[in-house]
Amino acid sequence: MSILEVNSLKKSFGEVNVLDGVSFTVEKGDAIAVIGPSGSGKSTLLRCLIGLERADGGDIVINGKNLMQNGVYVNDRQMRDVCSCMGMVFQSFNLFPHMTVMDNLIAAPVSVRKEDKASAIARAEKLLADVELSDKANVYPSSLSGGQKQRVAIARALMMEPDILLFDEPTSSLDPQLTAEVLAVMKQLAEKRMTMIVVTHEMGFAREAANKVMFMGDKTILQMGSTEDIFERPSDPRIKEFIQSIL
Amino acid sequence: MFKDLLDIAILLTDGVKYTATLFVVTMIGSLPLGLLLTFMRTGKSRILRGITGFYVYIMRGTPLLLQLYFFYYGLPFIPGMRNVLVLDRFTAAMLAFVLNYAAYFCEIFRGGMISVDKGQYEAARVLGFSKGQTLGKIVLPQMLRVSLPSIANESITLVKDTALVTAIGVTEILYFAKATVNRQAVFTAYPVAAVFYLVMTFAITKLFDYLERRYSF
Repeated sequence: MSILEVNSLKKSFGEVNVLDGVSFTVEKGDAIAVIGPSGSGKSTLLRCLIGLERADGGDIVINGKNLMQNGVYVNDRQMRDVCSCMGMVFQSFNLFPHMTVMDNLIAAPVSVRKEDKASAIARAEKLLADVELSDKANVYPSSLSGGQKQRVAIARALMMEPDILLFDEPTSSLDPQLTAEVLAVMKQLAEKRMTMIVVTHEMGFAREAANKVMFMGDKTILQMGSTEDIFERPSDPRIKEFIQSIL
Repeated sequence: MFKDLLDIAILLTDGVKYTATLFVVTMIGSLPLGLLLTFMRTGKSRILRGITGFYVYIMRGTPLLLQLYFFYYGLPFIPGMRNVLVLDRFTAAMLAFVLNYAAYFCEIFRGGMISVDKGQYEAARVLGFSKGQTLGKIVLPQMLRVSLPSIANESITLVKDTALVTAIGVTEILYFAKATVNRQAVFTAYPVAAVFYLVMTFAITKLFDYLERRYSF
């Protein structure tokens, strides 16, 4: 069984059609890079999957549970339950500025999952060590660099032990050096077979860390396949053009 | 000379309890009420938004002195309220102040609420926080922090506004100052009263400076 199935997903903002019949499946352990020109609906797709936007039509099945069937979402409580197996990392980090790094990490486990505080702190310390920020546990986000903020945000998402982690342009607001440190963390996650869907402009990630690439254009998926397929054997002239324009 | 000033100061001290009580009661009453109004003003219900919008308009759009007169002299003129809604001076003053300041605090908190980034709500949601948890743990602390300087400003205005209640005969600091000037035909009671207000505003300024430092992030 696929961990995520999306079928004929449709989404419009008012008159503007953003997604028009998007279908794909994600298998456990996939690291999927979602690429394509701006305005092709990449971020909207991600936001529909986790309920930040409401799609207008289609089906979404996550871990065998319906999120949306024929354009109708499950109720809010079920939606929370279905989406609880997913985490998300944002372009603008969205750390809680009034909490220390440690409190950012343990807030949701303690409040939402009612985890014992000591055990949450122990897990947080381990994750902070993984992202090489052990020394920043007690500082506020305002004193961190962008790359450090994003690594904290990744650790915060991992605290909820998601089955699928969504990344919405995680490095787009970072300069190249800081991008590298965030990509290194994401690459490690991919190597550990974390299921990831990554909207990115970073072809380095698509080539090196992802096992599949989804190319979006004109409100739909133009091609989805292995990294070599997309980069070496693009099926659509628009993909060829896009890849040439970046390289 | 010094003894004269001291005598006047001792006279004015009698008014301090009314000034201070009015200040404290207004703060304790209007801050929570203002917060409640903010939630109604920014909530889902159009009716509640409309009502609170109108309330804020009335309270901010008319003089506080007029509102004082209304609550003290005006309420008994409401048909059927002649013997029911007769408030004593100080009760009328506290009521008018709490209701008036709640409207200002509502707008201050609303500004703080607007300043909280949309991404904060989204991050809270994807982490599984309920709406109540998001408000209590994520939004409220940030909006209160952002609102602090404006609340400090409003509190200092409140100290000075307490002098208005002298108009309905509440025996606060300015009331005694005026009485002393009239009785002794010397002007010195007014500067002495000014010192009383300055001491209070100084303390409040320092308190809010501390709060801003304590809750900076």
